[in-house]
Amino acid sequence: MLDPSFLFAQSLSGLTAAMFLFLIASGLSLVFGVLRVLNFAHGTFYMLGAYSAYQIVLWIGPGPGTFWVAALGAALGIAVLGGLIERLLFRHLYGKEELYHLLFTYALVLILSDAAKILWGTQQKSVSRPPGLAGAFTLFGVTVPYYNLFILLLGPAIALGFWFMLQRTRVGRFIRAAALDRETLGTLGVNVSGLYTGVFVLASFLGGLGGALVTPVRTIVPGMDTEIIVEAFVVVVIGGLGSFWGTFLGALIYGQVLSFGILLFPRFSIFSVFALMAAVLILRPWGLLGRPLK
Amino acid sequence: MVVRAFLVMLAAVLALPLGAEAQKPIKVGFPMIMSGPGALFGEPAAKGAQMFVDEINAKGGVLGRKLELLVRDTKGNADEAVRVSRELILKENVDFLVGTLTSAEGPAVSVVAKENQVVFIAPIPKTDQLTAPDKLHPYVFRVAATTTMEGRSAAEIVAKWPVTTVATISPDYAYGQDVTRAFVEHLKKIKPAVQIVDQQWPKLGEADYTPFINAQLAKKPQAVFSSLWGGHFVTFAKQAKPLGYFDAIKYNFIGVGEAASPESTKSMGKDYPVGIWGNSYDAFYWEGPPAHKDYVARLSKYLRDEYPSSWAIQGYIGLQFLTEAIRKANGTDSDKVSKALLGLTVDTPIGKQTIRAKDHQANRGQLYGKTVMDPKYPFAIMKPIEYVDPTKFID
Amino acid sequence: MRLRRLPWPLVVLVAAFFVPALGSRFYTFVANDVAIWALFATSLNLMVGYTGLVSFGHAAYFGIGAYTTGLLMKKAGVSFLLAFPAAGLLAGAFALVFGFFCVRLTRIYFAMLTLAFAQIVWAICFKWNEVTGGEQGMPEIPYPSFDWMEGLAAVVPLVGGYRTSEYFYFLTLVLVAACLWLLHRIVDSPFGRMLTAIRENAERAEFIGINVRRYELAAFVLAGGFAGLAGGLFGIFNRGVFPDFVYWTKSSEVLIMTLLGGMGSFHGPSLGALVLILLNQQIVSYTEYWPLVLGTILVVLLFGFPGGLAGAAGALWTRAAGRFRRA
Repeated sequence: MLDPSFLFAQSLSGLTAAMFLFLIASGLSLVFGVLRVLNFAHGTFYMLGAYSAYQIVLWIGPGPGTFWVAALGAALGIAVLGGLIERLLFRHLYGKEELYHLLFTYALVLILSDAAKILWGTQQKSVSRPPGLAGAFTLFGVTVPYYNLFILLLGPAIALGFWFMLQRTRVGRFIRAAALDRETLGTLGVNVSGLYTGVFVLASFLGGLGGALVTPVRTIVPGMDTEIIVEAFVVVVIGGLGSFWGTFLGALIYGQVLSFGILLFPRFSIFSVFALMAAVLILRPWGLLGRPLK
Repeated sequence: MVVRAFLVMLAAVLALPLGAEAQKPIKVGFPMIMSGPGALFGEPAAKGAQMFVDEINAKGGVLGRKLELLVRDTKGNADEAVRVSRELILKENVDFLVGTLTSAEGPAVSVVAKENQVVFIAPIPKTDQLTAPDKLHPYVFRVAATTTMEGRSAAEIVAKWPVTTVATISPDYAYGQDVTRAFVEHLKKIKPAVQIVDQQWPKLGEADYTPFINAQLAKKPQAVFSSLWGGHFVTFAKQAKPLGYFDAIKYNFIGVGEAASPESTKSMGKDYPVGIWGNSYDAFYWEGPPAHKDYVARLSKYLRDEYPSSWAIQGYIGLQFLTEAIRKANGTDSDKVSKALLGLTVDTPIGKQTIRAKDHQANRGQLYGKTVMDPKYPFAIMKPIEYVDPTKFID
Repeated sequence: MRLRRLPWPLVVLVAAFFVPALGSRFYTFVANDVAIWALFATSLNLMVGYTGLVSFGHAAYFGIGAYTTGLLMKKAGVSFLLAFPAAGLLAGAFALVFGFFCVRLTRIYFAMLTLAFAQIVWAICFKWNEVTGGEQGMPEIPYPSFDWMEGLAAVVPLVGGYRTSEYFYFLTLVLVAACLWLLHRIVDSPFGRMLTAIRENAERAEFIGINVRRYELAAFVLAGGFAGLAGGLFGIFNRGVFPDFVYWTKSSEVLIMTLLGGMGSFHGPSLGALVLILLNQQIVSYTEYWPLVLGTILVVLLFGFPGGLAGAAGALWTRAAGRFRRA
C-alpha cells in the first residue's frame, strides 16, 4: 500500500483527470465570471465537441494529423455554435433573473442532446489515440501513456495562456473589468455586448476542445453531457465561481480526491465529491480562490 | 327449448363484437430505454422486436390479427418506466408488455404488470430479483440471462485457466454487485484453490478508471473478471490498455456484460484489447443453428447494417415467445397466455429456448469466446465462439 | 365578470371527483399524477415565486418524503395515517438542516448548495442498498387500506365499489386540496406578505426589521415539508420509490412546471403540472424526442411568455374583458 511508485501512479492519474476537468470547467468558470451565468449547456458543448471530433476523423480518414485537425475543427465548430446561440438568443435574456438564465441553458441541454441523438444515433463511438501518442513510457516504475503526458502538459499551457491573455492584453483587461463592473465598462465606451459574445465563443471553444480531447480515452455516448456537467460544477464551486486559478486548483483537488479516495473509502466516491462541494459552499461560498460577489 | 334459443341468440350477440375484435391488432407495449447511455442496447432491441412484428404481419399475423408494437422511452429511469408502462396499459390498451432494460426498471414494471394482470416479458434485465420466489407472479417472464447464470458461466470458464489469484472490477450497483457475487461464489465452489485478491467498484458511469486500474495492478492478480458494460467497458479498456493492464494479467481477462459484443469490438476497432475473453447475446459471425444465418441476413437487411446488432435478438426472442404463447392459448387472454408460456419451448434463431414453469425464466445462455483479430473484419471477433448453455447451473 | 367570482378551485376540486366516473382508468391515472405534481410544484413556488429563492434541489425533499412513506409502509408495515404525515415531517426536518446552511447564501450560491445537498441525498439513496434498495429502489409500495371505505359503503350510498387505485385517487384529491388550501392560507397571511417583501427587496425588508434569514428558512422548511407530502403520495402512486426521484433532473422538471404555469400566481404551478403532463402524454405517442419538444417549449416560454401560462391567460383575460366592456 505504501509502495512509493504506486502512490506516484495514483497521484499522476489524479493529475491527468484534473487536467481534463480543468479543460472543461475553465469555460464554465469564464462564462460565470463575466456573464454571471451558470451554463448547464456547457456539458452539452463538451459532448458535441466529442461527436464532432469523431465525425471529422471519419471524414478525413486515418493519418498522422487527422486527430489534431479533428480536435481543432470540432472546437472551432462548437465555438461558432456558441457564438450563434449567444447572438441570436441568449443576449435577449441578460436583463432578466438568474432563474431564466439557468432554465434557458437547461433548455439548450434538452434540445442539443436530442439533436446529437438525431445526428449520431445511440450507438457508442470511439476515437483512437493519435498515432504519435499511442504508446507509453516508464517513469519511476510507473507506466505513463504518452497521451496522458500530452494532457498533463496541455492543461498548464492553456492555464498560462489564459493567464497571459487576462493579465497582459487589452481584451483581457476588459474581461476582468466586465467581471467586476459591467455598467461602468459600458459607459467607458467599451463594446460590452461584443465582449460577451467573445467570452461565450471562447468558453464554447474550450468546452468543445475538452470534448474532442477526451475522445481517445473515453467513449462517446449519449448522456455523457449530464454526467460531466455536475462534475464541472463541483470543480468550479470548489475553486470559486468565476475564479480562473480557482478552477485550476479545484480540478487538482478533485482529481486527487478521486484518485486516493478510492483507496480510503472505495465505495463512497459519488458521495464524497458532493459532500466536498457542500462543505466548500457552507464554509467559503465564493470558493477557495474566488472573491465574494457584491 | 326456450333456454336453448336464448343461448343461441346470446351467442350470436356476443359473436358480433368478438368478430370485430378479431380484426383489431394485438397491441404490445415496449417500454425501453431509448436515450442516454443505455440506448445503445435499447434501440437495437426495439428494432429487433419491430422486425419480428413486421415479418409476422407480412405473413398474416397471429390468429388472423396483426401485431402492433408501441415503443416508449423509459430514459433508463424506473419511475419513468412505470409511468409509460401504465400509460401503455391504460391509454393504449396494450394486451402485453415486452421490455425494460435496467435492473431497476424490470422489477418496477413487474409490479405494474401484476396489478394490471398483463403478461410482461423482460428481454434484457438480468437481476435475480425479477424472478425471485417472493417477487414471482403469474404475469412476469424473462428471456434474458440472469446475473446468476452469467456469473456462473464466466466462473466455469475462468476455472479452466491456470490461475489461482483472481480480481474483479465491476460497476457499483445492483447488476455489477450481483453478477460479481455469483461469479465469486461459483468459482470458489468449483475451484477452491482460487483466491480473490482484489475487488474494485468504480461507480456506474465512471469517466476515469485509471486509479482503479493502478490499484488493481498493485495487487498483482493473475486473472480479472469484469462486468463493465457497453460504453463503460470501452472507456475502461481504452484507459487500461496503454497502462499495460492487459499485458500484466496476460490477457486472462473475462468481460461479461457483453464486453465482446460486435458493437463493442466494432466501435473500438484496433484499440480493442484483443486476446481477452468476453460474452455477447449474439454475434452475426456465429455459425449457430441453421436458422441463425437466415436471421442475420434478414436483420442485416432490416437494419441496413453489414454487421448487425447483437441486441436485436433480445427484442426478437421476446416477441417470438409472446406470439407462440398467443397461438398456443388461442387468444390474448392474459391468464391463458401466461399459462401457455409455462414450459413453452420456442425455436429461436439461436436455437431452442424454454421458459421454465418453475421460475418463468428462459434458459438463455450467452456466447463466450476469446477475442482475436480476423482478416475478414476490421475489428475483433470471438474465436472459437461457444454458446454456454446455463441449464445445469441455473439454480 | 361574474365568471371570475366563481370559487374556481372548489369547482375544479368537485369536477376532479367525477373523473373516475368518466369510465376511463387512464383519466384517473393522469388526474392523480397531475394532482401530486401540482402540490410539488406549488410547494416549490413558495420558495421561487413568493420568496425569490431559486432552488435547484427541491427533488431532495420530494424524494425524502417518498422514501419515508415507502419505508414505513413497506418495511415497517406502518399505516398510511402515520406514514403520510411522517413524510412531511421528515422532509421538513431535512429542509431545516439543509436550509439552515442554504439561506446564508445568496442567489447562485444558494442554487448550487441546494443542488449539492440534493445530490448528497441522491447518492445516499443510490448506495444504501440495505435500507433504500439502492439503485433498484423499492418497488411494490402497498396502497393504504381502503376496507373502511367499503364498510362505509354499506351505510352511505355511492362511496363503495371503486378500484383501489380510484380510492387512492380520491384520497390524493382530498389531501392535495387540503395542502393547497393550507399553502394558500400561508401565502395570504402576513407571513406570506413578508416573504413577498423579501423577494421584492431583501435589503429593505431587513431595514424595516424583518429577520430575513429566519423568514427564508421558514419558507424553505414549509416548501420542503409540502414537497415531502407530495413525495409520500407519489411513491404509492408510482408503485415504487426510486433514486431517480432525487436526481437533479427531477428538480429541473418541477422548476419547468412552475415556470410554465406561471410563478406569479398561486395556481400557476398547478396549471403548469396539468399542461406539462397532458402534453407529455400526447407527445410521447408520436415521437421519442420529448426532450427536444420540452426544450423548445421552454425557450418559447422564456422569450415569449415569461409570466407562464397563468400570466398569459391573465393578460388575455384583461384584454378580452376590456374589449367586452367597450363593446
